[in-house]
Amino acid sequence: MLTLLKLIQSIIKTLHSDGTPGQVAAGIALGSALGLTPLVNVHNLVLFSLIVLLNVSFGGGMLGWALFVPLGFIFDPVFDRVGAALLGAASLRPLWTSLYNTPLVPYTNFNNTVVLGSVVSWLVLAVPIFVVARYGVARYRATIGERVRQSRFYKAVTASQVYNWYKLFRPS
Amino acid sequence: MRLRIFRWKAIGPLLGLLLLLGVLLWLFAEPIARQTTEEASTELLGTEVNVGRLDLLPRQASVDLGALQVADPLEPRRNLLEADRIVLKLNPEALTEKKLVVERLALQGMRFGTPRKRPARPVTGDGFAPRALRAVREWGQRFDVPLLQLTPIDTIKALVLNPSQLGTVQAAQGLLARADSTRQALEGGFQGLDVKGTVDSAHALADRLGKTDPRSLGLDGTRQAIQSVQQTLKRLDQARQQVAALDRNVKAGVQLLGSGVQGLDEARRRDYAFARSLLKLPSISSPDIGSAFFGKVSIDRFQQALYWAELARHYMPPGLLPREDPGPKRLRASGSTVRFPKARSWPSFLLQVGQVDFTIDAGLLKGAYAATVQGLTSAPALYGKPMIVSARRDAPGSAIAGLDVGAIVDHRTSTVRDSVAARLRGVQLPAFGIPGLPFRLAPGAGSVNLNFLRRGDQLAGRWAIGSNQVSWALDSAGARSQLEQVVWRVLSGLKQLDVSAELGGTVTAPKLSVRSNLDDALAERLKAVVGEEVAKAEAMARAKVDSLVNDKVQPVKQRITALQADATKRVGDQQAQLDKVQAELEAQLKRLTASLAPGIKLPKIKL
Repeated sequence: MLTLLKLIQSIIKTLHSDGTPGQVAAGIALGSALGLTPLVNVHNLVLFSLIVLLNVSFGGGMLGWALFVPLGFIFDPVFDRVGAALLGAASLRPLWTSLYNTPLVPYTNFNNTVVLGSVVSWLVLAVPIFVVARYGVARYRATIGERVRQSRFYKAVTASQVYNWYKLFRPS
Repeated sequence: MRLRIFRWKAIGPLLGLLLLLGVLLWLFAEPIARQTTEEASTELLGTEVNVGRLDLLPRQASVDLGALQVADPLEPRRNLLEADRIVLKLNPEALTEKKLVVERLALQGMRFGTPRKRPARPVTGDGFAPRALRAVREWGQRFDVPLLQLTPIDTIKALVLNPSQLGTVQAAQGLLARADSTRQALEGGFQGLDVKGTVDSAHALADRLGKTDPRSLGLDGTRQAIQSVQQTLKRLDQARQQVAALDRNVKAGVQLLGSGVQGLDEARRRDYAFARSLLKLPSISSPDIGSAFFGKVSIDRFQQALYWAELARHYMPPGLLPREDPGPKRLRASGSTVRFPKARSWPSFLLQVGQVDFTIDAGLLKGAYAATVQGLTSAPALYGKPMIVSARRDAPGSAIAGLDVGAIVDHRTSTVRDSVAARLRGVQLPAFGIPGLPFRLAPGAGSVNLNFLRRGDQLAGRWAIGSNQVSWALDSAGARSQLEQVVWRVLSGLKQLDVSAELGGTVTAPKLSVRSNLDDALAERLKAVVGEEVAKAEAMARAKVDSLVNDKVQPVKQRITALQADATKRVGDQQAQLDKVQAELEAQLKRLTASLAPGIKLPKIKL
């Protein structure tokens, strides 16, 4: 229940943040990687750092993460197949062999079918996610955004202490 | 307004987060590493592995483990080995490639076969090691190890046998069906030959030419007649080849049926043994006694060797092709992790040199020992040398006690070869019970030899124990049958024990033969006491089997004999017809050619 509430809070705050639709969409696109790919991996540390350091919506990142976690679980078998196909491709074997024997690279777990498959799938989907998210945020703000902002529910959410912390990472 | 790309104010919190992660790693790295080591080793070896302590020494690129216990996969209440301290010196360069290269391993305070405080939990799941363990247990059940039956002979009353229980009846039915299908196939072959048509037309030609004067035919007529004869002879030759092919089929079919008849005899012998087992007659033959007493304990030893050979075969594959293993356990799907070995690079795992020093403080084996393990690796083709294990006494000790172990695991090429030879003298041999009997054997101090070789699917092994300090014990008090008392009298007087078990055959069809110095002594004694009655009971069992089997087997044998005779006769008849008509035609050919050039002897025409 708490998770669900936090998710709603995150969605609402993000959609009404000061960031442009592009910044929110970029956050969602980057955050979707955290949800689509197995979390405890080096590439996710890099992506999380990018969400924090780049002038994208941090809330968008968290929203993307939350939204794409279930999709990640659902599509694991697909990622497994994609990864297996890539790792098993004879033409790519020299590349994988070289990477596998390069210092530090094996710690990325690129040679795991689900990790590679999900990262490659995310790279392919990142731009479409960005485009769809930017359109969705813009449409929301243009239609029902203002009415939600005036609601008591929104005011209650934004009045919480968590929101103050959130503002630290608000896009400028 | 210009949009800024970086959020500089977030660097502080991010660094803080990374610092927090670093602190957590520093705090929990050792417990996590210890737990991961336990879990991974348990999964890999298929038996519980406990690590009491794990210290990471980053400056020395070393790991220091304490209180290691590896449970025996086949006996959960015992540790295969226990070590007080293990120090692993790792190769830092290989670590950067996420490869575990142990440059040096030192084990201290090692003990074998120690009892566990609590039984090891069974390793379940679908990993390779649990599957291998299940396979090895099933392999152990493939041996037909008889129990020594010492049931009182007067309990034998009647033998009730159902024909469907007898393999001979089933084999006879199968053979009958095979004989029928062979007969049909041969009949089809004979009909397809059409030798009669060829023979009749050849015969007609020979008759016609016999009634003709070659001089009346003229030169052209004679030439045409010769050509006709030659063509007919060719057809005869083709028919002869077909008959020869059919003859080969007949012989093959007959041979197959003949082996089927032999199979009936073997099935009958098995049925005799089955009927005998129903009577629960005492085993009085030497080989049965050896197997009954020491078969199970021998299989246990070979199971151990086979289990570790199976693991080695899986974890030390030959070649440099990419290898797939299950990915790490996590909430998300594990997937598969693929290794891409490369020539002249580190394998994923390599133990270059393992030095194991251990001391035995008491007993005949007292002394300091040294063992080495070299080249234990996940990619033997990369390492280029076989794995070698050796253990021996480091300093001179007692002449009557010693330990000499050597093992070679050569998986460099596709022809993998695993062998182990162990020779222990003056060791305290573990006591064990005799399966199905109330006797327990404590061999005392003695010698053990184990040789095991696996090349491809072929197995060869020998396990032998010898002792002259044997003591026997009765498991529990109570009434003993007359035969048990006889056996006990023989056993209790024996102080010397020599057992030798030979393993052969293949992994799928292993063979075991066990001999011991008890076999003949016991067999002789049992034969003297109950030999006559056993012989009578065996004769009864054979007669019972014969009565149920004969009326099924005899008709089959008769039918096969008739089929063999008929087929052979028909082939012979057809060959004779062809021979006869060929001779007639050749005579006519000779006559025709002679008329072309009288007085000139023409060379024989080769067709």
